[in-house]
Amino acid sequence: MLGLLTSCSNEPQPIDYGNDNCNFCEMTIVSQVYSAQAVSRKGKQYKYDAIECMVNDQLQNNYDMAVNLVANYEQPGTMIDVDNACFVINDSIKSPMGVNLAAFKKESPVVRDGSEGIFSWLELIAHILQNDSLNKSH
Amino acid sequence: MGRIFILILFLVSGTTSLQAQEIEVCKNCEVKTIQAAVDMAENGDIIRIRSGTYKEHDITIIDKSLMIIGEGLPVIDAEMKGTAISIRAENFSIEGLKIINVGRSHTNDFAGILVSNSKNFEVKNNRLDQIFFGILVERSSDGIISGNKITSNATNQATSGNGVHIWKAERITVKNNEVIGLRDGIYFEFVDESEVINNFCKNNLRYGLHFMFSDNDLYKDNVFESNGAGVAVMYSKFIDMQGNHFKNNWGSASYGLLLKEINDSVLKNNIFENNTIAISADNSNRMTYIDNDFKNNGYAIRIHGAVYDNIFKQNNFLYNSFDLAYSGHINENKFDGNYWSSYSGYDLDKDGIGDVPHRPVKLFSYLLNRTPEAIILLRSMFIDIIDFSEKVSPVFTPDNLFDNFPRMKVIKHD
Repeated sequence: MLGLLTSCSNEPQPIDYGNDNCNFCEMTIVSQVYSAQAVSRKGKQYKYDAIECMVNDQLQNNYDMAVNLVANYEQPGTMIDVDNACFVINDSIKSPMGVNLAAFKKESPVVRDGSEGIFSWLELIAHILQNDSLNKSH
Repeated sequence: MGRIFILILFLVSGTTSLQAQEIEVCKNCEVKTIQAAVDMAENGDIIRIRSGTYKEHDITIIDKSLMIIGEGLPVIDAEMKGTAISIRAENFSIEGLKIINVGRSHTNDFAGILVSNSKNFEVKNNRLDQIFFGILVERSSDGIISGNKITSNATNQATSGNGVHIWKAERITVKNNEVIGLRDGIYFEFVDESEVINNFCKNNLRYGLHFMFSDNDLYKDNVFESNGAGVAVMYSKFIDMQGNHFKNNWGSASYGLLLKEINDSVLKNNIFENNTIAISADNSNRMTYIDNDFKNNGYAIRIHGAVYDNIFKQNNFLYNSFDLAYSGHINENKFDGNYWSSYSGYDLDKDGIGDVPHRPVKLFSYLLNRTPEAIILLRSMFIDIIDFSEKVSPVFTPDNLFDNFPRMKVIKHD
């Protein structure tokens, strides 16, 4: 019974960089500044090499997740909850799937500039839905 | 007469511009650093660097067409402080240098040699060791990268870059290079009309060769050995893949070749040997697989997702645990005229083609696709029985997935 309870936990497992594969694009997850992960309400772990993969996977499959985490670009290897994150799309960011997207903490000085290309989680989903990122739009 | 005069004028002016200055760099020379030589050089000059160790980083060359030649393999030691050489120019070449100790970073792609916004260039016969990114080319065209040996000891993915990394470029030739121990050996993102020929990629953490969003490219006669996975071709079209050797890509999720959203491409004369999964194809359409050898792989070909109009012919499937794993409908895919070592039919009319069609999909591989843990039952009597019963009367596997003309003998490929 205890085993059953723990197996249903929504606790995210840390990404094993270099060994885990992206649930969406199948690439090996290597970069600690672009990765993302989610845990479903039933406790299934989803890991992604890029934030755009997580968004695309959820858009295509209508997943309902209990936890959505993204890598903190400024602190490689740490994850932040999407609700506490700001997303930046900029040519200087070379994320693995070509969207040039990374996540920052909301209070980070980088995102206070109020410049163009800064999104909240929901705005980001809307933006990717609009652009169909994997369609070579650039 | 006038014409001859113009010709003479042309020749004279031609020779003056050819009188390139040569600048020598060495410990006891007048010019002691490479950056100093670059600063004083004019268009068309040659910089000859004598052997020795030069502790320099961020050597920058802007808008100068130079020929940089290392004599006796001079060493540029970037002392872990950023990029060794950055160039933005047309018509230049760099050869015979040894570059070591490139800086690491999460947010900057430091490289041994960075070529940016450049045209008509050649980077050849250099030796790069202990680097982050090796040769990084961006927004450039018409370049040749050949004969370089790039090594690093990437054990941690986070602190490793790619050996030859090309981003947004056209008409680049990557030839005769050796890339060992990096993240991706050779990486193409938005690279069109380019060639990857006769390279050797080994022990790279992720892929030997990686295509993303790149079209109309050729890769030929390369060897991909013991990488995390051999080659990944993703979101690309019109890729010509010929004569490559994919071997020893072992691991629970390892591939010889990963095809994801790739269309209108050809795989010809390749050898796949000792891979967990030789080819994993997902959403790849209008592909031709011809004259390939699949030897001793876990799976020779694993197809999932929607795949349409693929042709598999004249391939040899030799002693793979599974020749084909397939889910979904037949979708106009054709599997005719291959040799299957698992074929157990006969050839009464002796025309070299088996009289009974062959079904390459085993029921067990279908089960495994749905429940990977069932692999534990491989080679059990139970599996042999269900495979046999499925062969006799197919229920789960696509019932029209046949090779109608299975060859009786191994097909010889030149």
